[in-house]
Amino acid sequence: MKPDYAVARIDLIEGIFAFQIWTRLGWQEVKRRYRRTVFGPLWATLSLGIFIGAISFVWAPLFNADVRTYLPYVTAGMVSWSFVSALITEGCVSLTAGEGIIKQLNFPYSTFAFMVVWRNTIVLFHHLAILIVVYIALPERVSFNILLFIPGLLIVAVNGAWIVILLGMVSARFRDIPPLIGNLVQVMLFVTPIFWEPSQLGAKAQYVVTPNYLYHLVDILRSPLLGDRPAMFSYAITILGAILGWVVTLMVYARFRRRIAYWL
Amino acid sequence: MTAAILDNVTVDFPIYGSSHKSLRQTLFAATSKLFGHEAPRQPRVVVRALENVTFELHDGDRLGLIGHNGAGKSTLLRVLAGVYAPTTGTIRLGGRISPLFITSPGLDLDDTGYENIKTCGMFLGMNASEIKERLTDIASFSELGEYLDLPVRTYSSGMLTRLGFAIATSIEPDILLLDEGLATGDVRFATRAEQRLKHLIARSSILVLASHSDTMIKTVCNRCALLEKGHLVSIGPVEQIIDLYHRRTEAPAAAIGGAVAIS
Repeated sequence: MKPDYAVARIDLIEGIFAFQIWTRLGWQEVKRRYRRTVFGPLWATLSLGIFIGAISFVWAPLFNADVRTYLPYVTAGMVSWSFVSALITEGCVSLTAGEGIIKQLNFPYSTFAFMVVWRNTIVLFHHLAILIVVYIALPERVSFNILLFIPGLLIVAVNGAWIVILLGMVSARFRDIPPLIGNLVQVMLFVTPIFWEPSQLGAKAQYVVTPNYLYHLVDILRSPLLGDRPAMFSYAITILGAILGWVVTLMVYARFRRRIAYWL
Repeated sequence: MTAAILDNVTVDFPIYGSSHKSLRQTLFAATSKLFGHEAPRQPRVVVRALENVTFELHDGDRLGLIGHNGAGKSTLLRVLAGVYAPTTGTIRLGGRISPLFITSPGLDLDDTGYENIKTCGMFLGMNASEIKERLTDIASFSELGEYLDLPVRTYSSGMLTRLGFAIATSIEPDILLLDEGLATGDVRFATRAEQRLKHLIARSSILVLASHSDTMIKTVCNRCALLEKGHLVSIGPVEQIIDLYHRRTEAPAAAIGGAVAIS
């Protein structure tokens, strides 16, 4: 079967214009997960906050760090990481979860991808509440650089959309991918500088941190939240990654979009 | 111009067994090629669901699909719906396609009736303002009243059926695709549902209906197609094709082609 760019293009454009559907489904999904609970969607935030608090106070002495610098670092890092990692893990099931509908109706599948990105953006904004608590305790961490969070979020979201579409397709075809990715993401939490700083690795950082794409995605979100300016290199890498990722995704989508229903 | 033109449409379903679908097999095949070994070729098992189906539908056509279970009726409907792209052959469609295979796509048991009307309506191709416009009609036809403010998990199955049916039949279709048995609740509701379905069909420009009920096909359709093991045996006037179907059923002809092909 030849690649059909028209099919891919129409799917993506119609998918974007179906924003009424994906914004709605995104919200519904956030609400659904915590229906009939008292704290609602804040449960995810609450548990992340407890995790961050516990880690920060126990691990700060472990790294000989001051809690006043370590706590905001881990908070901003974990909040950014949970956004990036959720896009990856949820991307794997974005199409298989829609099986019931995909096999009955023809509609832009990219709707599911945009829904995943949108839903996790909502969750991210919930998580920012933890940072606000940290800012209240340590107001010196806030600076105008925080505005750079917005372009960072945009770049990560654009990256997230291709990651979700690509992983969704590969996972629909090869069912070993979701557990594999799930495992890798778990490992990457410790390989990516979230609980430690790249400088602590010394010269080794250029082999471990620099090639780690997830680090750069986290960096453009985390640094502004800490009142710092992200490295230009991180912007360059992630913008380039967005372009390359979308090119590859478009090629794969054009080739296999019409086969997806057969895979499910 | 509303039309559906199928030219030599063939649909093969790949069967991904536990072995074929695995990443290991694919990686193994890829790497052994890399090292110059010829990988043991996995036989690719496919089920041919439709073979070389050709026909045209135009404005005013009401086509009934008949045939035994597994003859390819549902697959053909799903090809028309654009769910499955033909493996070979082409399909050209003009007009808005409305497949009503499930009445409430995206139904969420935790959402209220009203919320579900919005979600399902969107999946059935309505936009927010269209849904708003039809909300009173859907609500009154479903006869759910105040229940529409409650989560649908509190509904009886009959109530769910009514809600789904009310939503699904409020669309404005060009090409309407119906699979048999849009379930219709109790007797009283069944008669009202029949009326509403008739109106829906009347609004559509083209109808394709798969059914095992001769009476239903005879009352609704003006053309009929007989499918047998993925082949279009014949397409023509309703009475004639239904007769043909019954004759072939009573004296089963020699099997046409193997349904399972291994290539």
